[in-house]
Amino acid sequence: MKKQYAFLVDTELCIGCFTCAMACRNYYHQVEGVVWRQVYPLSEEIYPHRERAFLSLSCNHCENPECLNVCPVNAYTKREEDGVVVHHQEKCIGCGNCIRSCPYGAPKYNPEEKRAEKCSLCHERLDADLKPACVQACPTKALQLIDLATKQQTNQIQYPAGYPKMERLNPSTRFILPKMPKMVRR
Amino acid sequence: MASKKQTLSRRRFLKGMTAAGAAAMLPCRLLVPGTAQAAAFNPDEFQVFRNACPRNCYDTCSIKSYVKDGVLQFVEGAPESTFTDGGLCVKGYSYTRRPYSPDRVKYPMVQDGRRTGKWRRVSWDEAMDMIAKKILELKKQDGSLLGLGMTKYSGNFGITNYGVEGLMSSLGYTTRFVGTPCWPAGIDAQNYDMGNMWCNDPEDMVKARYVIVWGANPAWCSVHTMKFIQEAKRRGAKVVVIDPVFTQTAAKGDVYWQPKTASDGALALGMARHILDKGLVNKDFVESHAHGFNEFADYLRKNVTVEWAAEQSGIPAQEIREVAEEFATADPATIWIGYGMQRHTNGGASVRSIDALVAMTGNIGKEGGGARYGHLQTWGFNYNAFIQKQPEGSVGFVGAAAKGEFDLTADQKTNYSDRTVNINKTAQAILDTKDPAIRMLWVSCKNPFGQDFDRPKLQKAFDTLEMVVTVDQFFNETVANSDIVLPVTTLFEEWTVNASYWHYWLSINEQAIKPLHEAKSNLEIGAALSKKMNELSPGSCTLPTEIDGKEWMAKEFNQGIHDLFGINDWTDLQKGPAKAKLASSASWHDMKFGTPSGKYEFRSDLCAEHGHKALPEFKEGRKSYDKFRLLTPHTKFGIHSQFVNLDWMKEYNKEPFVYMHPKAAAGKGITDLDMVRVFNKVGEQKARVKLTDNVAEDCLLIYEAWFGRGSDFNVQNLVDDESADMGAYKAGAPGVAIHDQFADIERA
Repeated sequence: MKKQYAFLVDTELCIGCFTCAMACRNYYHQVEGVVWRQVYPLSEEIYPHRERAFLSLSCNHCENPECLNVCPVNAYTKREEDGVVVHHQEKCIGCGNCIRSCPYGAPKYNPEEKRAEKCSLCHERLDADLKPACVQACPTKALQLIDLATKQQTNQIQYPAGYPKMERLNPSTRFILPKMPKMVRR
Repeated sequence: MASKKQTLSRRRFLKGMTAAGAAAMLPCRLLVPGTAQAAAFNPDEFQVFRNACPRNCYDTCSIKSYVKDGVLQFVEGAPESTFTDGGLCVKGYSYTRRPYSPDRVKYPMVQDGRRTGKWRRVSWDEAMDMIAKKILELKKQDGSLLGLGMTKYSGNFGITNYGVEGLMSSLGYTTRFVGTPCWPAGIDAQNYDMGNMWCNDPEDMVKARYVIVWGANPAWCSVHTMKFIQEAKRRGAKVVVIDPVFTQTAAKGDVYWQPKTASDGALALGMARHILDKGLVNKDFVESHAHGFNEFADYLRKNVTVEWAAEQSGIPAQEIREVAEEFATADPATIWIGYGMQRHTNGGASVRSIDALVAMTGNIGKEGGGARYGHLQTWGFNYNAFIQKQPEGSVGFVGAAAKGEFDLTADQKTNYSDRTVNINKTAQAILDTKDPAIRMLWVSCKNPFGQDFDRPKLQKAFDTLEMVVTVDQFFNETVANSDIVLPVTTLFEEWTVNASYWHYWLSINEQAIKPLHEAKSNLEIGAALSKKMNELSPGSCTLPTEIDGKEWMAKEFNQGIHDLFGINDWTDLQKGPAKAKLASSASWHDMKFGTPSGKYEFRSDLCAEHGHKALPEFKEGRKSYDKFRLLTPHTKFGIHSQFVNLDWMKEYNKEPFVYMHPKAAAGKGITDLDMVRVFNKVGEQKARVKLTDNVAEDCLLIYEAWFGRGSDFNVQNLVDDESADMGAYKAGAPGVAIHDQFADIERA
């Protein structure tokens, strides 16, 4: 298998602190309303307590990206060397095809640029041997950068509850599920 | 290929920035990746500065700031610190926005009528003229400056920010709001038990075999400590979290206990009784290093049973026995005592009970153990900015003034002193103080309307003041209740040095960018006022009229600090933060306690002299005065009234909520996301409700925050100024029972 970088979201370690999301904003200064990485609380049907378990999500850098497939002007490329899906904003015409097509909602519309944009996996940082800003920022190492070409832990899953199962796209993000403490309540 | 045209999306960031010329040179390649072959990030393109978060947080993160063309581009955690490990938190990463926020106070401004919003820009000279003339008028009319009050706390904990107190001293003897809303009951408790508040290095928590997090929520309030707890867990430690709220920290533990609020003392004593009965007391510690253990054991046998503790707390007796035994037999075992659990009328007594539990199991003075609360071991600065002489002939208060908890200076011997009033009763103190009355108030590093208690009363109190001067970065509610606002620098625009009260790292704060707009540091504001005072009345202010912030920061260092941190000079910190050279990661490792007996004191006569019980006996909590217990703890998106107002933060935290149990809501006909009104004898607050069993059925929870422009949300509309039991001994005034509040709720 070719090298494919991916985010590993360990929800057992994740404390939902939003540090990853803000670290992204700190680095890229997205305009108001544009969020590349969001922290989503799991619904109570999935984890039985409100706002106590989370999925930190951005672009999944899919094996077969829908954004790339639907873009009429080839504004998307997938890097050969590591599988990062890159959006080239200078080529983008703002047609919105990618935004409508991505089942994970990764591409966002930038109303000031009138074009799309999304998580770059900080490829310019990767090229300088640095971690993505969100990964470096995570205080509990709940968000990690992994290479799917190497052997992974057995407790990782690809499609946790609440996350769209899109096998044709083969999203690269992997998850470890949250545990519950023993609860002693009056 | 990167294109400069791609920088358009950065326009918002540049709004309100004075250095407009720098806009054209922003590093578009960094900010918007052009192609997959975009050049790699090159740190050499930036000037890198060292900063440190001064916002009164356990973590006091050491920051690396990347500046290009005079503009702060982004921040990172310093990789040198093993505590923060290269990271910040959600608040820390929002700092990049802070200096450039369009909502900053940009110039000195005068409001024509408080709360009218009719602000007009004035020059620094005009502002200083108005303030200086008022100060001189007070002095002339009253014969002293006791009519000038100063309220300042921890909104900016840089050591040089003690220059605010320095400014007041350099004017004469004034009225000071002393004490702390934060942690005083626990400080006194630990001082009675051990002779000081001194905690283990939090990094050594990885060695613990058993961790109880009691009334603390590090997942939100000390994110960098979470990894040490999680590492201890990975190595096999059991993690028990005790909190009336199912917090984010609780969700990450092995066992969560939800006791009745303020029953912590009973729980700890019940566990202590069981440990005693089971013969699991550490004999060496209680016999060799402790005073009064036998009396404590007698008290337990006569007054405490596990069943009684179960009844008081709502935690089943079998659970109490199980955790007590596990805790007593794990080696080492530790308890983190949170500041939340001592914000009660019985908070100090509860902390003493928990201290006793840790001590009787021999975990005090042990690496990986400890009754962890906080420390001031690394705060031995010169306080050069703080210590200023009063002008010749100044008249002040006759009698001794109480000292605040961060006042590490030696006692001064003079005929006069400042007059002190309780910071936790700010409104009442303004209303009650006479001869002379407080007529003018100077506010800095603090947002009383976002933080102090009984907001409706506070507004009445402020309305009796003849002049309110507030030094701030944002137009908050205190500013709205002021006459003059002075723009103050952010951490990136000034020099200072920051220590932590939790970990043992020390960080320099370099000036990374020029002050935006007309902002000045607190020290520079002091110098500007001194200049005006001396123009109008020579000799009326002893503070220098020109101050170089870097020089004044350098003056805070001494040989003790150099030795403690293994540095030759403050400039060593420009290479990165330094950690104190510790003989052991354990506090009290040499068993030399700071108590009168030199031992750990289960029985403290000093405590009895100060009006409490000598033994860590159970103390009843505050009686309920309304339908629900109201809790107003910290949000993860802010520190008190800071950060939540930033537009970057609002992207993830758009509005405040009231959290309520579904069963309680059903009884009131309230459904999820309804607009509700929470009300009590103090006041009322509206917000939307979220139903959740993270809170108990008899509890309402609202996070403390200030949402900034367009929002009147303020939990201080619901919190009265009832005192905690302890705090006067070390902090100068008792703490406040923030979590002993009650309220009712209905659909709005």
